Formats: sequence, C-alpha cells, structure tokens
Amino acid sequence: MVEWRLQRLPSAGTGAALGARIAAVLLALGVAAVALVLAGQNPFALAAQVIRATFGSTFGLEDLGLLLIPLLLTGLSVAVGQQIGVWNIGAEGQFYIGAFAAAAVGLFLPGSAALILPLMFVAGAVGGMFWILVPTLARAYAGVNELITTLLLNFVAALLVYYVATGPWRERGGVSNSATARIPAEIPEFWGLVHWGLPAGVLMALGFAALLAYSRWGYEVRFAGSNAKAARYAGMPVRRHLVTVMLLSGMIAGIGGMLEIAGTVHRLQGGISNNFGYLGIMVAVLARNSCLGVIASAAFMAVILNAGIVLQTQGLTSATVLAITGLILFLTAVGDEVSHYRIVRGKV
Amino acid sequence: MIDLKRLSRRGLLNMGAIGAASLVMPKGLLRPAYAAEPLAPIAEEDAVIGFGHVGPITDEGWTWSHHQGLLAVQEAYPKLKKIHEVENVPYSADATRTYRQFVSEGANMIFDTSSTGDFLHEVVRRAPDVAFMECDGHAIMDNLGWYYLAHWYPTYIVGVAAGHLSKTGKLGYVASFPVPSVFCSTNSFLMGARSVNPDATLQTIVINSWFDPQAATQAGTALIDNGCDFLFGIMDEAGYLQVAEKRGVWAAMWNTDIRRYGPNAYVSSIIIDFKDFYVDQVGKRLAGTWVPGEHILPLAGGVDRDVWGQNVPKEVGDAADAVRQKMLDGWSPFVGEIKDASGATRVEAGKQMTELDLYTWDWSIEGVSGLSG
Repeated sequence: MVEWRLQRLPSAGTGAALGARIAAVLLALGVAAVALVLAGQNPFALAAQVIRATFGSTFGLEDLGLLLIPLLLTGLSVAVGQQIGVWNIGAEGQFYIGAFAAAAVGLFLPGSAALILPLMFVAGAVGGMFWILVPTLARAYAGVNELITTLLLNFVAALLVYYVATGPWRERGGVSNSATARIPAEIPEFWGLVHWGLPAGVLMALGFAALLAYSRWGYEVRFAGSNAKAARYAGMPVRRHLVTVMLLSGMIAGIGGMLEIAGTVHRLQGGISNNFGYLGIMVAVLARNSCLGVIASAAFMAVILNAGIVLQTQGLTSATVLAITGLILFLTAVGDEVSHYRIVRGKV
Repeated sequence: MIDLKRLSRRGLLNMGAIGAASLVMPKGLLRPAYAAEPLAPIAEEDAVIGFGHVGPITDEGWTWSHHQGLLAVQEAYPKLKKIHEVENVPYSADATRTYRQFVSEGANMIFDTSSTGDFLHEVVRRAPDVAFMECDGHAIMDNLGWYYLAHWYPTYIVGVAAGHLSKTGKLGYVASFPVPSVFCSTNSFLMGARSVNPDATLQTIVINSWFDPQAATQAGTALIDNGCDFLFGIMDEAGYLQVAEKRGVWAAMWNTDIRRYGPNAYVSSIIIDFKDFYVDQVGKRLAGTWVPGEHILPLAGGVDRDVWGQNVPKEVGDAADAVRQKMLDGWSPFVGEIKDASGATRVEAGKQMTELDLYTWDWSIEGVSGLSG
C-alpha cells in the first residue's frame, strides 16, 4: 500500500526554511490585519506608516541601529552557549551585571574617557563572566541544569541593580529619578545616535563565527555540542570546553550591558536591560544558533520592536503591539519547525 | 564685563533666574526663561501635539488625570491636526524612541507626563523647533520646560487631619522610590500631623513602583501590623485603601477621588488637575508665545485636598480646612527649624523653604523611618 506521510529531516533546506519564514511573517501580519480591521484601524495605512517611519527616515534607521546593539550581543551570547548545547537563559542577568560593573568603574574611577572606556569594557566582560560562574561550575562539576540556575540569577541581578540605582548610588537632587548620576565616559557616536558599539558587536559576531568555523577549538566545541560522549571518547577536553564556552557566553552578555550603559543609556537604573536578555534567546533561536545568523535575526527583531513603538504612536495600545510581536515570533518558530518536514510517498 | 555675544542662552537663563524672584509673576510660574525666543506660531489645523504617559490611562490615577488634560486640549482646540498619545512609556531607551517618533510624526509640542529625564533630553536637543514640557522635570533648555504641583500644601493639610484621627500616632506610608516627590510628600505629611500630635511618627515602605497593587497591598498590611492606624502613600491605584477598609484604619490617597474602594476608611486625596495648564500651554504654543518655564501649580490651582471622607468628623475637616485657608492667605508651614532623620538641623530657625527647596527635597525629617536620606 502506498501512503503519503511526513518525514522529518535532520536539517531543513535553505529554501524551505526561508519559505517557511516568509510564510510565517505574512500569516502573522494577515492575522494582525484582521484583528486591526475589527478594532476599527486601517492596517494598510498603519503598515505604510511603519515602513516609512522605520526605513524611510534617518530617525528610524538610527533607532534600528541602537536597538540592534544589545540584541546582537544577547543573541550572540545565547547562540555561543548553544554551540556546546548549553541554554544560557541568564543573558538578562549577565547584561545587568555587565552594566553594573561598567557603571561602577565609570562612576567611581577618575580619568579620561580614553582610559575609562576600556576599563569599563573589561569590567562589563568580567561582570558577565562572574555572573555565570556559579551556574558554569555547577553544570560542569555537579551536572546541575543551567536552565534553572542561570534563569534564577536574572532576578538577583535585576534587584541588585534596582537597589543600588534607587539606593546608595542614586543621584541626589539631580535631573533623574531613581537612577545614578550620568557616567561621564561615553562611547562616541558615529552616525546620528548610533555609537561604536554597533561595529564592535558585529565584529564580535564575525569573530566568534570565524573562531567556531575555522579553529580547532571551534571544531571541538561543536563536536562536543552535538555528541559529548563521542567527543570524550575522542580525547577532547569536553569539560574544559564547557566551562570556557559558558564563561564566554556570560562575557558577551556582560559586554552588551556595558555597551548599553556607556553608549545609549549613560546611567545605571532598574530596567536597563529592557528584556534584551530574554529577547536574545529569541534572536538565537531565529538564527538557529548561527553566529552570523544572529546579525540578521537581531536586525529582524530590532525592526519588530521599532515597529511596535511606531504603532503605539498611532494609537495602538502596548498590549496590542505586544500581541502582534508575539504572534510574528510564534509563527516564525512554528514555521521553522515545519520546514524540517517534507511529504513523502512510500510503502508502509 | 560680560561678553554678551558669547553668552549662551543657558547662561542668560541662569542670570535671569537670579533676578526672577523679585519680579511679579503669574501664579504658578516660578521663573520664565527670559532669554529663549518663542517658537514660531502654528495654525491650529496644522498642529500636532504628543503626550507620553508612564502608565495606562485607565489607572484612575496619575495617568488618567493627564489624559483628562489631553481631552480638555482636544475640546479647547477641536481643529488640531492630531494628538498622539502613548501609554506605558518605560523609563528606558524606549522612551527616547517614543519621543523621537513623536517628532518624526511632526509634533509641535510634546508633554512627557512622567519625567524620563535624559531619555527625553536626548530628543529635546535634536528637535529645536519642538516645544517640550516635562512633568516633574528639573532641566530647562531653549525648548524644554517643566511643570509640577505644589502637592506639599494639600499633603500637609491631610497630615493635620491624620494628626487628629490617628489614635496611636503611628502613621504609615507606601512609597514608590526615594525621589524628591516622595521625600517631600512624607515630610510634609508628618509635619502636618505633628502640628497636632508632636509625637507622631511615620513609617515608610518603598515598593519600587508607582503601580503595583499587590506590593502596595502587602506594604499596607505590614504597616497596619506594625501598629499604624493611618495609611498614606503615593500610588496610582487603590490597593492600600482596600486594606485599610478591611482592617478598619484610615487612609488618604493621591491623584483622584477613589473613595468607592474604601468609603469608610477614606479620609481625602491629593487631587490633581492639569486641564487648565495644558490648555494654556498648547494655546501659547499655537499663538507663538510659548517659552520654556518652570511651573509649579499652586494649591487650589491644580492641586488640592479632596472633599473629606464620610467618616471624617466635621471638626477634624474644619480644623484641616482652617490650615488650608491660612495657606491660601499666604502662610507656609515649611519654616525652620527643621531637623533631618539623624537629628542635624537642615533648615535654620525662622528660615522659610522656597518652592524650589520643597520641590527638590531629598532628605527625611526627624520621625520618618524607612526612607534613606
């Protein structure tokens, strides 16, 4: 008997994956358009407005560039962890601590920006590594699942930053509410509001992509990620690689926090991460954990987030915007999974 | 000699401020920016106005009150091309994006109803033709002014009522953040209460939010468990009022009349009203006479106490209202000697705090606990 059935492929073809994504976005936009019509809005006018405001103006492009930086770093952080099969859900916390450590340097060490910025960069990197250190050791030596440990530390980091920004470090009698004083050292801007953190982030993504693709270390990490037992059997130092990769993952997120505070926000405050850590997971998933793909998926996410702000100025509530954003991402993830299947005809 | 050519507008502003105190000014305007040139007038049908809010306009509190101001503007200028309004603007770089978006939508005047500070100023500096007003702001530029309310007067009046009503003399306060508006609120409330009961104390719990009904409810419960029999706070919702109703203690609120959530416990509220102010500001922008100023809306001119609650004895309401009348006649209770929580004298005997002193108050007076000064 001949029958049609679904067959799962180990990896989706490029064409199928691309097609599934485009279909998913179109489907999500279609659903959103129906909902908007029901709510009395004109979806075509809104879409035109979003495109015009995002791509048709310097303002919009600058905003994209600014949004891209933290998304790139947190996305890269998660994607790097995934190379060895680690889910770093804690990019949010590492981002906070990176910002916290960089702010400590920027606020309390005197010196010129040329001296302080590199120190802030190192502080951000070390801060991120420090925040993932305990989950790393617990995973490497005690087999504790990193999903839980990294996630829970996010709340500790966020509350710590809230505490110092509204407590001991807050600016007194200044222009800001519940934030520290402005950090004098600032990453210079190279185009409008967009600062040099963007090229730095892109370089890091390229660097990690090259390292993973062409170095022996990268080969061993990817090998260990796909089959740890085989890697161990082949004599690869799997545990050492695991520790290194997790620390690097935390470091990248910490640098993200540093770039955000030294380039965009300039003051340490609660909510500085803006959920970038969690969005980074989505960025990595959309990029299928490819370090190069992270650049594209972070850009896609930046467009979606920016469109959300444009839509809010057009009178949509933030809840509606969040629902549309979620719908696009949800259907994209479904589309990705679907593209792994093909219909075959075979004998039962 | 001062080189007038090289003197910045900013420098002029500062000089103007020194001389401003001696001049007669309209009620509520602390000091206008003398040097700034007004932005060009706009026809009503071409004008675009933007409002950014910290919370949802349905909060029955702070944001709702500002939304009423927007509606008043709409009514006063029905031909306006567009009024943009965004709720839930986060205190993050997203605020910058929102206000930039207003500018690129062609806004001529933008109100930030909950000081986003640098995030707004980033936009202000790059949009010199747009008038910006920041509520609870502190900075002034050629195209940026700020406005706020003299909430310390009605708060003191409610404090007088609390002094009469509290049996234990232990007052409780649900605070958002250790920011000047909260320091000033806790201090003036306790000063009012102490004018009746010199032994009164105020215990504060900070919940790190302006709108978190659950945390406010927990804080209210904890304060009552500690012996407080009068709750006050600076929340955008009625959480601790409901606790007070259930536990049979008094409560005073902020923003609007929300007595229906706790009619027995309700004493009064710091009622705010920005309608006339917004209509006036938009009118000036349209007419081309708007200049950035620093406005603190006075008692009975934008901020006041609410009609007393149903269970407040008449003599208590009258006693508090007598204080209110004295204030309207020009009396201020904020005169030294005032000591801080550590016991050190911060305002010398006989010295009166200015409106700006009150607005930027960032230390706790003796008797307030739980707020680090």
